[in-house]
Amino acid sequence: MDVLSSTFQLFIFPGFLFFILLSFLFEWMDRKLYAGMQRRIGPLYTGPLGLLQPIADFIKLMKKEDLTPKYSDKKIFNSVPLLMCALMLTVMLILPVAGESGVVSFTGDVIFAIAAMTLFCILIFLAGFSSMSPYPLLGAERAVLLLLGFEIPLMLSIAGCCIASGSIEISAIVSWQASHGWNILGPQLLGFAIFLVAIQAELERIPFDIPDAEQEIVAGWMTEYSGRKLALIRMARNLELVFMSALAATLYLGGPLGLPPQWAEGIAFPVYFLLKTVAILLILTIIRGIFARVRIDQMVAFAWRYLIPLSFLQVALTLIWRLI
Amino acid sequence: MSSSYERIFNLPLGPQHPALKEPVLLDLKVEGEHVVDVALDVSYNHRGMEKAAEYRTYVQDLYLIERICGICNIAHTLSFCQCVEGLHGKEIPERAKYLRVIAEELERIQSHLLWLGVAAHEIGFDTFFMYIWLDREISLDLMEEFAGNRITTSYNAIGGVKRDMTPEVANKMKKGMDKLEERVKFYKKVVLSERTVMKRTMGIGILRRDAAIQLNAVGPTLRASGVDMDARADDPYAAHSLVPFKVVTNEGCDAFSRIIVRLDETLESINMIRYCIEKLPSGPLLQRLPRRVPAGDFLTRVEAPRGELVHFLRADGSDKPYRYKVKTPTFSNLAPLREMLRSKGKYVVNVADVPVILASIDPCFSCTSRTEVVKS
Repeated sequence: MDVLSSTFQLFIFPGFLFFILLSFLFEWMDRKLYAGMQRRIGPLYTGPLGLLQPIADFIKLMKKEDLTPKYSDKKIFNSVPLLMCALMLTVMLILPVAGESGVVSFTGDVIFAIAAMTLFCILIFLAGFSSMSPYPLLGAERAVLLLLGFEIPLMLSIAGCCIASGSIEISAIVSWQASHGWNILGPQLLGFAIFLVAIQAELERIPFDIPDAEQEIVAGWMTEYSGRKLALIRMARNLELVFMSALAATLYLGGPLGLPPQWAEGIAFPVYFLLKTVAILLILTIIRGIFARVRIDQMVAFAWRYLIPLSFLQVALTLIWRLI
Repeated sequence: MSSSYERIFNLPLGPQHPALKEPVLLDLKVEGEHVVDVALDVSYNHRGMEKAAEYRTYVQDLYLIERICGICNIAHTLSFCQCVEGLHGKEIPERAKYLRVIAEELERIQSHLLWLGVAAHEIGFDTFFMYIWLDREISLDLMEEFAGNRITTSYNAIGGVKRDMTPEVANKMKKGMDKLEERVKFYKKVVLSERTVMKRTMGIGILRRDAAIQLNAVGPTLRASGVDMDARADDPYAAHSLVPFKVVTNEGCDAFSRIIVRLDETLESINMIRYCIEKLPSGPLLQRLPRRVPAGDFLTRVEAPRGELVHFLRADGSDKPYRYKVKTPTFSNLAPLREMLRSKGKYVVNVADVPVILASIDPCFSCTSRTEVVKS
């Protein structure tokens, strides 16, 4: 029974299948809301309200011709999409969906999450550089510069949460919030804002979609990818979107915990988790809708001038708050 | 080669690229994110329009010339008609002159709104782009009511215009102008208050006043460098000598001031249309002219939405032109474009600025691709 249940947890719920379907759903919600903000309709024809459009796009890309550029570093070029998907699916398992802890939970899984985000950036860099063509090269260069700007505020804002709850384990942070109130209600509000801006950059969305700025460098580091590989990259990026929103919900909004009746925990926890994650997605999409893209030098200047001092201030505030 | 040169590599922007609506090659030499130099190749869309015009009669040419550019079709037909009418030495009816101004200014409104949307898209502000293009529909719908078609209108005819303006259309036009004025003022407010827009356009694509004059910039590009030059005011045609308007200039010399100039021009055009509807004289629409055009040369200047448009006609007394020559505003703006795209001293051009600078001249390369190079 134990083997069966853990297999179910790993592959079905709240494992791979759940997260993959969730990533398609998130892409649909993102597109639909973005379209609504722009006075458009968005996906409409595939499935009810165009709900199946992301899946249809995925299948379509899977069927398309898959090209590998002649001068690319083929081993790296071909393995990056797979590695991206594998990385995102692995790190998803630490998210607490159906209870206080995820499928996998250990001391230091917060650090694992941070490491995974950085690894994702390194994979982007590898994708760009193995393509050996000018647009991906510039895109990869920009991705690394973006990393320089936003990795520190991101880590510091997460550190604020860890300091507040005195633990580097996600389940401990979640249960601490259950007894002491959500992190966002304390001095972490500032950290929450920094975290949202930083993940907007990490996810390469407007106003920080600099590494794949369509009007400047075509598709940036993804330019040479097509067919199956592009489908996998798109899926990995959707998974990243889910992961980042879920992490924000977990660290700042109390994760799956809410006010469930005791008997309904099994249903209430995932529902609370989804509601909070979707709320984060809405904020992210609104940010995406109301800004123009900034330039890479402006972005790095912004990060070092404002975000990093602010995140240090937030850590200091948390320390003082904890001592009192 | 020194080591600094080895870091420079070529970044071809075009002939197929998402930032481009028409084929052009900007061969950028970049060092990291900085553009060092640029080579332009504009001839990807040669259509042989001028030669084709020589094989058709003047009436047939009207429809050919219209198709040089979709967006500024009225400016092209207006120039052509003025050339033919000029050689005949005949004045067209007063009412037709006013109607030509209305058509021209309506075209300017939709062209400037289209351009503003494209500019927003180039700086990655897609929400703004979608909003503007939806409001541009107002002007296109008015054009359809007024001229019978949204884009390729065939409105101007040799000796006048083809369609009268009924009182219902005039009413709709007035209402539409009120709505457009409100929207354009709102967009101006957005542009003046949205920080990311300013960050991406201020100090980008600098073209100083003396350089603009020297390199022969035209239209809003020139006026945004502080030069008060407009064919409508300097060399009035149609009813422009009777319709009051202000030549909009801006001293900013950058992409941002080009946005402001175009927005202000749109507001001016709205006022001009209102004035024309108010003062529209009665009378015939068309002055019949003979099919054969007297021999002679004629040159007209028309202020198209993108800048000064020059048409030249040489007639030999038959019913077909002997030679027809068109110089579009984009052609004049190419040399200033190269100047804007090169980093010089403190003025640095980033790769991210290239689409913005390119869009800021409102290029229309398919109209431009006409230059013939004759090798001896």
